Formats: sequence, structure tokens, C-alpha cells
Amino acid sequence: MNLVGSIYKKMNSKDKVIIAILLCCFIGSVIFVFNNYSFYEKPIAKVVHTKVEDVVKVSDINGNEDTLYTQHIIAKLLNGEEKEKEIHLTNEYSKSKAYDHEFQIGNELFVKIDQSEKEDEDLTGTIQEVKRDKYLLLIGWVFIFVLLIVGKKQGLFSFISLVFNAILLSYALDIYIHNSSQSLLWICGISVILFTVTSLLLANGLNEKTYAAIIATLLGTFISLLITYLVLLVTGEKGLRYEEMQFITRPYRMVFMAGLFLGSLGAVMDVAITMSSSIFGLYEKNNYISVKALIKSGMEIGKDIMGTMTNILFFAYVSGSIPTLILYFKNASPFGYTLSLTLSLELARALAGGIGIVLTIPIGLYTTLFFVNRKRARL
Amino acid sequence: MNVLVLLGGILFLLMTIIGGRKGVRSFFALFFNFAVIIITVILLCSPEINPVIVTLFACVVISCINLFYINGVNSKTKTAFLSTIICIVILLLFIIFVTNKSMIQGFGEEEIGELGAFSLLVEVDFVKIAVSVIIMSTIGAITDTAIAVSSPMREIHYHHPDISRKELFLSGLSIARDILGTSANTLFFAFFGGYLALLIWFKDLSYSVGDIVNSKIFSAEIITILCAGIGVTLVIPITTWITAYFFVRNKETKETV
Repeated sequence: MNLVGSIYKKMNSKDKVIIAILLCCFIGSVIFVFNNYSFYEKPIAKVVHTKVEDVVKVSDINGNEDTLYTQHIIAKLLNGEEKEKEIHLTNEYSKSKAYDHEFQIGNELFVKIDQSEKEDEDLTGTIQEVKRDKYLLLIGWVFIFVLLIVGKKQGLFSFISLVFNAILLSYALDIYIHNSSQSLLWICGISVILFTVTSLLLANGLNEKTYAAIIATLLGTFISLLITYLVLLVTGEKGLRYEEMQFITRPYRMVFMAGLFLGSLGAVMDVAITMSSSIFGLYEKNNYISVKALIKSGMEIGKDIMGTMTNILFFAYVSGSIPTLILYFKNASPFGYTLSLTLSLELARALAGGIGIVLTIPIGLYTTLFFVNRKRARL
Repeated sequence: MNVLVLLGGILFLLMTIIGGRKGVRSFFALFFNFAVIIITVILLCSPEINPVIVTLFACVVISCINLFYINGVNSKTKTAFLSTIICIVILLLFIIFVTNKSMIQGFGEEEIGELGAFSLLVEVDFVKIAVSVIIMSTIGAITDTAIAVSSPMREIHYHHPDISRKELFLSGLSIARDILGTSANTLFFAFFGGYLALLIWFKDLSYSVGDIVNSKIFSAEIITILCAGIGVTLVIPITTWITAYFFVRNKETKETV
């Protein structure tokens, strides 16, 4: 308590206001999400009793053995006309739980109530989905608090820029969906410019460093996109297995290119801002530093970040395919076929992103040098 | 010619021209990491082995490749390595708790159609696989942040050898705050780029906000992004503290000798 008191004394009134607002948001949103049942149209039920009724051992032709459980669940409805009534549900789940869930007392589920003719009979229904909103919210708050405790003001700004980008993306997709005549690539191109400008301005403020980074990011992403496009054209897209692309409601080639475009943007921005702020840092420390020395140090910094940056994209893309890979292997799919089918698009994205990252190193270096020289000429 | 071969060739060429010897090493590191992922997947296929332990082991190997192979064994990579492992263990505990509660394992109903030909009852514990996926998505970003913090801290310590532990810690933290947003941003765009098709799908089939938020595949995606964000943020104070602790302790032991 003493610690909290001493921290409280150190803060100025502006910080206190921000913390008070944050705490109010936190408490308010948690209360809302734990009591928002009436806002959902689908009936929600809370599990109050579970009993495993049947256990069956199964095996398939590939020698995989698994266990199937049948679970009888009694749950209490939390919204709708039948509120407070109990509902009987049956749930089948496996030991591996690839597509099913084992429910425990306290879990909240979306259910579909069966229509029954008789009045006095117990309600029955089927389980449709798990209510996950509260977990998302709580993890989101953990992220916000970690970000604020570690990053203070910069943490707040980077959170604002993430939220702003998410809203912008959603808005851009709305425009695309309502105007199918507009090409997704054009919409993405314009949003990429907006994303870059807002993220970098929020991260670094209005100064030459930011301008250099914005120009380098845009050049880097557009050139790497052009290279990828040419590669796809030259090779006739041989080796890319679009059939494994999920959730396709639109021309898949366009969606893939747009995703590739967006996906490498963050990494390219990261490289561009690292290059421009470190070169400006060197210049500010020593105003008479030669251009040659700046190029040399800039390339050294670039070499340092190249390897780890390409790995970020690589892991972010490839890891998502792990469950699918396991499922293919367990169903005795041939090794090479599985890899080419499940990973070709992800690897193409990672490689194209890598090209963007590496190209942005010299681009960022020379754009920053241009701004440094302009600043020098003014002195 | 195959798209992947040509893209890989261009990347190799660029990395060699721009990065020299280190660029070549960075390119090969990608290959080694790919091999590690494939071996991990094969190990995860056998139900007798605990997926969490396999993942932890894979993370150690991947951090070794990313830190020691690309950047050499020295004081900054050693502290970065230690911080990465500590951060991964803390994150692992958090993620195990989260995946158990939120039931985001395996496949969502939107994905299940195209997997219809497969048997889904394959013995492997998909709840633990979900933990593995989240950790593996983040490991690249965590090692990147760790080395990005420890390397300028070594420069500070080199230029001001008499700096106290607390001062080194504070100046490390102030450098780290500048890169805080960019790592989170990189992951954010990578994931949204990868799932652009899903977002368009939700909009096209006019899912309501409630449907989207509670659907397994969307919440799994958001939880991955949030956990990745927590990971790259958490590694910052861990690395700053460990680097400050080891560098300043090194100096004290030297003086006593």
C-alpha cells in the first residue's frame, strides 16, 4: 500500500486523470461483458451440471486411436423468453478436441432451443458456439496494461495506432465490399499510404526522421510488390497452391496479393524507422560526420536487423499452419505433397516480405541521407 | 520456374549484396528455422510427447539460430538469449491458462468444410497444439526485440563504463520504448495480411459483431495477436534488467580480481 501511495504522490494531475479514465473503462467494460446476455439474440446458457454418459474407443485406418466421450449437460438459460429455465444438452467430444470441446461447470454457451409441443417437458437444445467475448476482453486489457506499464506514453501511442489501423482496415474492407467495381489492390494501396503515415506519425511525431521513414516505407513496399508481381507473371504462378487458400468469397489471386501487400507493410515500416532514426541519431551527435561514414554505419545497422526481421514474418506466417500440417500427417498424406499444399502460399508471403525488408535497408539509408543533406544545406 | 524458388533466389541475391557474409547467414537461418518447424511438427504428431515441452525445446533451438548463428556468441547475444527464454516461459504459462479457458484449439466451423475428408480423431491434444502455435508465431518477434534492446545497451555500457546498474537500466528502458510500438505493429500487419481473406469472408457473409467476436477462428486470431503483443512488450523490461544486471556485475567482478 505504501508503494502505491508513493507512486500516486509522484504522478502529476494529468497522469491521474488518464489512469482514472482507464480504470473506469476497464471496470465498465468488464461489468458489461460479464452481463451482456440480453444484447445477444441467440439464447445463452451457463453450464450448471455435467455428466459423462458414454465412453467409446475409436480407431481409424491410419492407426490413430482416440476416445469419444458423450457428455450430458444441464445449463441455465441467461437471456430470452425462457430465462432462468434449465435446458438439457448433449455434447460429444474427443480426447484430441480438434473440433469439439469438453465443457465444465461455469462455461457459457450459445444454444439453439428445440421446439417442444408439451408445456411441462424439460427444454432440450443443441450447442452452437462458446461465448468467448469476455476472454478476448480480459486478454486485451492485460495487453493494454502491460503496454502502458512498460511503455508509458509511447505505449499509449502505439496502442492508439493499433486501434486506429484496425478501424481503418475495417473501413477500407467495407468500401471494397460495397463497391466491387473498385479493385482491392487500389483500395489497399491507398490504405497502405494512410497506415504508414498515421503509424509513423504517432510513433515519432512530426519531424524529418518520420518523413524519411514514410517515403522509404512506401518505396520499399511498392517496389517489393512490383518484384513479387513480376515473379508471379514470369513463373506463371507455378508452385503456388491457391486451392488451399481458405475463406474465399472473392477473386483469390487479388485477395492473396492484397494480403501480401499488407502483411509486409509492418515489417518494412519497422526497418524504415530503425534506419532513419539511427542515421539521424548519428548525425545529431556529430553534425560534421561524412556521408561515407553515415553510409557505412547505416549498412552495418541494416545487416544487424536483416536476419531477425525476416524471421519475424517467417514465424508469424508459417506457425499458423501447424495444426493443418499435423492433421495431414496424421492422415498419412505424403510428406512433399503436404508441404507444397499447405505451406506454398505462406512461404511465398514470407519470402516476398523478406525481399521488402532487405530492399528497404538501402532505400531507407539513401532517403534519410537525402533529408540529412537537405538539413545540412540549410545550416 | 517455381515461384518459391525464384522468390528465394531473389531474396538470397539481395541479402548477399546488401548484407555480405551476415546476409548469407541470415538467409541460411531461414532454412534452419524451417527445418526446426518441420521437425517440431513431426514430433508434435506423436501423442506420447508433451507438445508444450517440444515447443519450449524448439524455441531454445530457434533462439540459438537467430541469436548465436546470425550474430555470433557474445555478451549481447547471451543476455538476449537468456531474456528470450525467460520471457517465453512466462508467456507459456499465461497462454496455457488462456487456451484452456477460451477453447480456441483446433479448427473453426468455417475451416472444417475443406478438411471433411480427414479423420479429426487423431489422438493429438489440440489444446496444447494451440499453445504451441501461439508461442511459435511470436518467437521471431521476441528474439528480435531482445537483441534490439541488448545491443544498444552494450554500446552505452561500452562508451560509459562507469555507469551504474540503475542508470543503465533506465537508459535501456528509454531506448526500448522507442521500438515498443514497431514490433507490435509488424506482427499486427503480418497477421491481418494473412487473414485478409477471413475478414472479407466475415463482411461478405454479413456476420454480426457478436458472431465474429465469439467465433473460434476470429478469437483465436485476436488472442494470438494479443499474446504476441504481450510477449514483445514483456521481453523489454526482462532484457533491460538482465543486461543491466550482467554487464554491471561483470565490471564489479573484474575490479575485485
